Amino acid sequence: MVNLLYAEVLKLKRSMIALISIAGIASGPFLCFVESIIKEAKRPDIPVEGATFFSETHLYVFLLIGVLLFSVVTAYLFNREYTEHTLKNILTIPVSRIQFILSKLILLCLWTMALTLFAWLITVLFALLGQFDGLSMQLFLDAFKQFMMSGFALFLLSTPMILVTLLFKNYVVTIVFAIAITMLNLLTYGSEYSALLPWTAVRVIATGTFFPEYPPIYSYISIIMTFCVGLIASILYFKNTDVN
Amino acid sequence: MSAVIKTTNLTKQYSNQQLAVDHLNLTVRQGEIYGFLGRNGAGKTTTIKMLLNLIKPSYGQIEIFGENLFKKQREILRRIGSIVEIPGFYENLTARENLLINTKVMGVHKKNAIDEALEIVGLQHETKKLIRSYSLGMKQRLGIARALLHYPELLILDEPTNGLDPIGIKEMRNLIKTLARERNMTILLSSHILSEIEQIADTLGIIHKGKLLKEIPFEKLRKQNRRYLEFQVSNENRAAMLLERYFAITDYEVHEAGTIRVYSHIGQQGLLNKVFVEHGIEVTKIVLSEDNLEDYFSTLIGEASIG
Repeated sequence: MVNLLYAEVLKLKRSMIALISIAGIASGPFLCFVESIIKEAKRPDIPVEGATFFSETHLYVFLLIGVLLFSVVTAYLFNREYTEHTLKNILTIPVSRIQFILSKLILLCLWTMALTLFAWLITVLFALLGQFDGLSMQLFLDAFKQFMMSGFALFLLSTPMILVTLLFKNYVVTIVFAIAITMLNLLTYGSEYSALLPWTAVRVIATGTFFPEYPPIYSYISIIMTFCVGLIASILYFKNTDVN
Repeated sequence: MSAVIKTTNLTKQYSNQQLAVDHLNLTVRQGEIYGFLGRNGAGKTTTIKMLLNLIKPSYGQIEIFGENLFKKQREILRRIGSIVEIPGFYENLTARENLLINTKVMGVHKKNAIDEALEIVGLQHETKKLIRSYSLGMKQRLGIARALLHYPELLILDEPTNGLDPIGIKEMRNLIKTLARERNMTILLSSHILSEIEQIADTLGIIHKGKLLKEIPFEKLRKQNRRYLEFQVSNENRAAMLLERYFAITDYEVHEAGTIRVYSHIGQQGLLNKVFVEHGIEVTKIVLSEDNLEDYFSTLIGEASIG
């Protein structure tokens, strides 16, 4: 498995997707920073709170940009084996189909967490640059916990994207699916149903904004169930499908 | 010679009821180059993909190295090198990096395995180029290098000359011959071009519409399908003696009583006839056989010729 993981990392050498994903994830904190600066310029009497800045950045990164960006990364990792005709080589080496999926899943986890860490770092940097109110080590650490938890939860929610990519062998369908989920996030956000929809439940759990109608366990179950169903369906489908 | 590949009633039926491979019984013997010939869409690639466990058969058995493929898949596949259709590579990596992925995953520990494989296919000076700047011919050769990395006993090559120019085809042919000879490999080679198979294969398998129509050693086939002059004569023994004495012809056979087939001197039937007649042999019929391999295949598949 270590060798497979090494191979997966090597496949990314000189790949543009690494840079694109870094730029993509950085856009969330950057847009929030610009928005905060404009707000402050318009109403200098109302200072921008550091906690608000972190909360809004979290919303942008994990409810809007993250879903789409991590889906693109997922689609890239799996779909390139079809488009570059490399799957036939890997599977006849031979690599077991389960190992193949797991090695990519581990890489995806590392990648997602690295991007999340980068997003947090750059958010801290922008917060310091903007000299927002109420910045403290405790705030940074709380945000770190929220970000990392959300990043891991979004990684867990990548398994349906894997399934869609394996089913359609096409980036476009996965991206359309991710856009649909993002739209659903926007529709659900703020309502009690956000505790049930796995992708909005990520924020509900991270920020602890649970709803009395649905206890926290519902949110955890919705994420874990989505992960398990997505993973099992992906493995079953991939194991039993001909490589044409 | 023992069988390296043996399929029994191998069948693949897709969901649309189309039979891509139909009860195929194929035997590839150790050390031979097996030419798997068929028109586009005949079922060659589907068969090869089943041999490599990329496609699951609907029915039938596959034995490779005497073991059931479905029971000992990993052990068997480790002993095989293959190219299926277009050899795929990670375009953002160099040739060496692409091969490094294979050596890592396969657990090939020999230090110079990559250099050795690249040298065999003549790509030792192109290792720093990214794959996206490789020509199709270079990719095909790199595909062979990748297939050879782990010193396989069996090489399965699906249309390895596809897209190559005439020089590339010749180079690939020589490479395959060298591998078979120097490494004593068993090679299954598929193609839709008869002349390509004819020049290197020891045994020929012809597949058409998913069925294996014929499996025959090339030597036997050539003999069956050589052009010849057939004379119907009053005394075949005397005619044979005259052929040897006057023309030094030894490549002939008495086909049946009164009929003699001459496999050389095509076009000199007049001269031969003259000698027969001058020596009192009555010639009642002269036939110039137009049979050749292409015609044989056309007849066999009942359609226009292959290649």
